[in-house]
Amino acid sequence: MTDEYMNYPTIFSITEADLDINDLLAQITLTGTGAAAIFTGMVRGETRRDDPHETVYLEYEAYVPMAEAKMKQVAEEIRQKWPTVEGIAIVQRVGRLYPKTPTVLIACTAAHRDTGVFEAARYGIDRLKEIVPVWKKEVGPGGEEWVEGDYLPKPKDRP
Amino acid sequence: MNRIKVLFFATLRDRAGTKSVDLEIPAETTVQRLKNLVVDEYPGLKETMDTVVISINREFAFDESVVPENAEVAMFPPVSGG
Repeated sequence: MTDEYMNYPTIFSITEADLDINDLLAQITLTGTGAAAIFTGMVRGETRRDDPHETVYLEYEAYVPMAEAKMKQVAEEIRQKWPTVEGIAIVQRVGRLYPKTPTVLIACTAAHRDTGVFEAARYGIDRLKEIVPVWKKEVGPGGEEWVEGDYLPKPKDRP
Repeated sequence: MNRIKVLFFATLRDRAGTKSVDLEIPAETTVQRLKNLVVDEYPGLKETMDTVVISINREFAFDESVVPENAEVAMFPPVSGG
């Protein structure tokens, strides 16, 4: 899904397809763009921090129409906080995803690197993990378990 | 009575044993009351209700929110995407 915001491209989608980072970056690069901050997360096969464990795969699911609406809201929040941001891409992959596979991408572009693009991309992934309805089930050598977040939405999380 | 649809995701779907259910509820039913009605129907959901997240027509709703006619309600655990 693409939404025009003052001619700035905004991409937000839930997909079962491979994340094509080059293609997404090209779609949010304008003639005035000189910087992009790209965050991507991938399935970690071996977790060492906190509760060490191995992961065989993660099974992601989404409440797709609400997830895409909330991704659009995250993009709008980014534009409010960092008006210098040009293009925004927020993409979550769902389905069965194995270690080393990219699962999510947040990218923000701007004219220059000192315009808040790093902070904007950071905000985007943090906010996605709070309000975008996507869940993952972790499957390991010993069984499976739903991963639950810890953020309970508040009235201010409605646009 | 109002007809509504309730969708379940992740743990709640597993515990309810279904993706969705159509319900008839009294007009002016609040989210708090709906939670009780759903637990009556699906006792396995009882212990998920302390941290359940509810949406009405794809927007977050809270205990005092009133569920409108033809609402698409969703019940799910705190999100874990990324």
